[in-house]
Amino acid sequence: MTRLNTNQWLALVLALVAAAYIAMAWQIPTFPLPRPVDSDLFPKVLGFTLLLLSVFLFFEKPAPIAGADTIDPNAPRGPLLFTPWARVIVTALAVAAYALLLVPLGFVLASTLLCVGLTTYYGYHRYFVTLATTLGVVLSLYLVMTRVMDVYLPTGVLPF
Amino acid sequence: MDALNNLMYGFGIALEPINIAYVFAGVFAGTIIGMLPGLGPISALALMIPITFSMEPSSGLILMAGVYYGAIFGGSTSSILLNAPGVAGTVATSFDGYPMAKKGQAGKALAIAAYASFIGGTVSVVFLMLVAPLLSKVAVSFGPAEYFALMVLGLTAVVSLSDKSLVKGLIAAVVGVMISIVGIDMQTGTERFTLGSINLLDGIDFLVVALGIFALAEVFYMLLRGGDSKEGPRNAIGSLKLTRSEVGEIAGPVSRSSVLGFFTGVLPGAGATIGSFLGYSMEKKIAKDGDTFGKGNIKGVAAPEAANNAACTGSFVPLLTLGVPGSGTTAVLLGALLVMGVNPGPMMLEQRPDVFWGVVASMYIGNIFLLVLNLPLIPFIAKILDMPKALLLSLILIFCMIGVYGMSFSVFDLLLLLGFGILGLGMRLFGFPAAPLILALILGNIMEESMRRALQISGGDWMTFIDKPISLALLVIAALSLTLPLIKKRRRKA
Repeated sequence: MTRLNTNQWLALVLALVAAAYIAMAWQIPTFPLPRPVDSDLFPKVLGFTLLLLSVFLFFEKPAPIAGADTIDPNAPRGPLLFTPWARVIVTALAVAAYALLLVPLGFVLASTLLCVGLTTYYGYHRYFVTLATTLGVVLSLYLVMTRVMDVYLPTGVLPF
Repeated sequence: MDALNNLMYGFGIALEPINIAYVFAGVFAGTIIGMLPGLGPISALALMIPITFSMEPSSGLILMAGVYYGAIFGGSTSSILLNAPGVAGTVATSFDGYPMAKKGQAGKALAIAAYASFIGGTVSVVFLMLVAPLLSKVAVSFGPAEYFALMVLGLTAVVSLSDKSLVKGLIAAVVGVMISIVGIDMQTGTERFTLGSINLLDGIDFLVVALGIFALAEVFYMLLRGGDSKEGPRNAIGSLKLTRSEVGEIAGPVSRSSVLGFFTGVLPGAGATIGSFLGYSMEKKIAKDGDTFGKGNIKGVAAPEAANNAACTGSFVPLLTLGVPGSGTTAVLLGALLVMGVNPGPMMLEQRPDVFWGVVASMYIGNIFLLVLNLPLIPFIAKILDMPKALLLSLILIFCMIGVYGMSFSVFDLLLLLGFGILGLGMRLFGFPAAPLILALILGNIMEESMRRALQISGGDWMTFIDKPISLALLVIAALSLTLPLIKKRRRKA
């Protein structure tokens, strides 16, 4: 069996998404009063268009992937935790943790922890510069948002 | 005469001290953000939205226009100094700007970029002032069918002009429309694709998508490429002064590219990138010393810079007169306007002249700020490029998060932002253009509404889109914009 290329894999995933989308579009309830176009028509058109486009994509020859020249998968990158993909995953997890801890910890503390933590993890070890810049930016943002623009930001465990 | 009176009225608004401060802040912030490789005007504008939503609409748009200009100019700075264009619209600038910098003439290249941007911006504002009222008079006669067709054209033009695969561009556009219709259908009150979550009843905020797909995805992408800055030490910037003969040499390219750039910007889907490339290649063909282009020719910096700034102004024409953005950047601007409660379109000139003319006047002022204030500051602003990438990436993350949270106060939206960041990274890695998605996201709802209203009026007759000449013409152009590149490609192969 021939191996599928990138576009074919993507096309299969998109076709599945389109199928799920169409199925959901069929579950949109009908409006009680008769109308020329109901809420479900546009989504159905979109679903079928995506399905059709995924068929086209299946037969499209894949072009070189953007950025492939700059991302060298075989380059030695040190420990597993510091490989480029590990950095993306750790950052994504840190962002998710930030989202969940923003309210309990407060904006200033959560943002400082995220910024200092990630900067150190990315390999910059001048802690004083990191802390001073982070606090400068975070506190300025906090003051501008809360005092000037009247936007509420969670205070969390800190008194301000 | 009318235009002059209106412009004076606009200056009355733009010259209010607070608005002058906003223009300056916008141009300054835009320059800094635009300078950071990867962060273009879309990210800059998206990051600014939370700041503008509590402002007067005219002030908000004045700030945004400043950010837009500044980001394009900032992009030129990183193109010239680092050969790393912050935005696609300044890629052409790097062709000759970077070789100039390597020769120790970075200051001169930056000065040319600033002067050319100033002239390009100013000339095109004059055109905007003259063309926009005419176009909005035509657009007043547009009904829902014409609007639907216009939006289809806007989308297909952006898809067809992106340098990536047509099919992938269309897929991005369809996904954008799909995201836009999540939530309660305003016409029937029916829930669509909310997956039972109350967080999705109001739909997905475009800021979440814009920041995720552009800014957050860019952070992820930079991490993938390797977090350490590999650039060597930069040469000294050198003198910013131009000689008289150099000024004479760039005068022609700047004026030609300003006009060309403006009209390219007006076309849906074209904008700064195409404008700058057209300007560059036109001058290369015309110039007697065309063979020195790419080796540090000053005309090779002047032409794309004048064109990209003129195109930025040109792209305001469809946005302000038709309410239909022609590019991803103006789509974000439209989103910002809608957040502020302003509906751009043909009636805007009559209903909100303060916004329209205030913005036009602020463009003049923004251009002057770019030249008078930003240029001397560039050697200092450029120090930002020396900031460690690790720290910069972390700070961009904070800006994205606060942008989203400050707008919706929702933890769910922060998680959604992360989801769109991952989607944006995937799109980038697999060659899906992001601009059609963001444009479709903004246009999706309005497009569906126009389509349904047109069908309501015609009693469900789909021929209404073909019966009306303007709608038919727009749909034919839309179809051609998709098929012509394919036919050309086939012919080239054959």
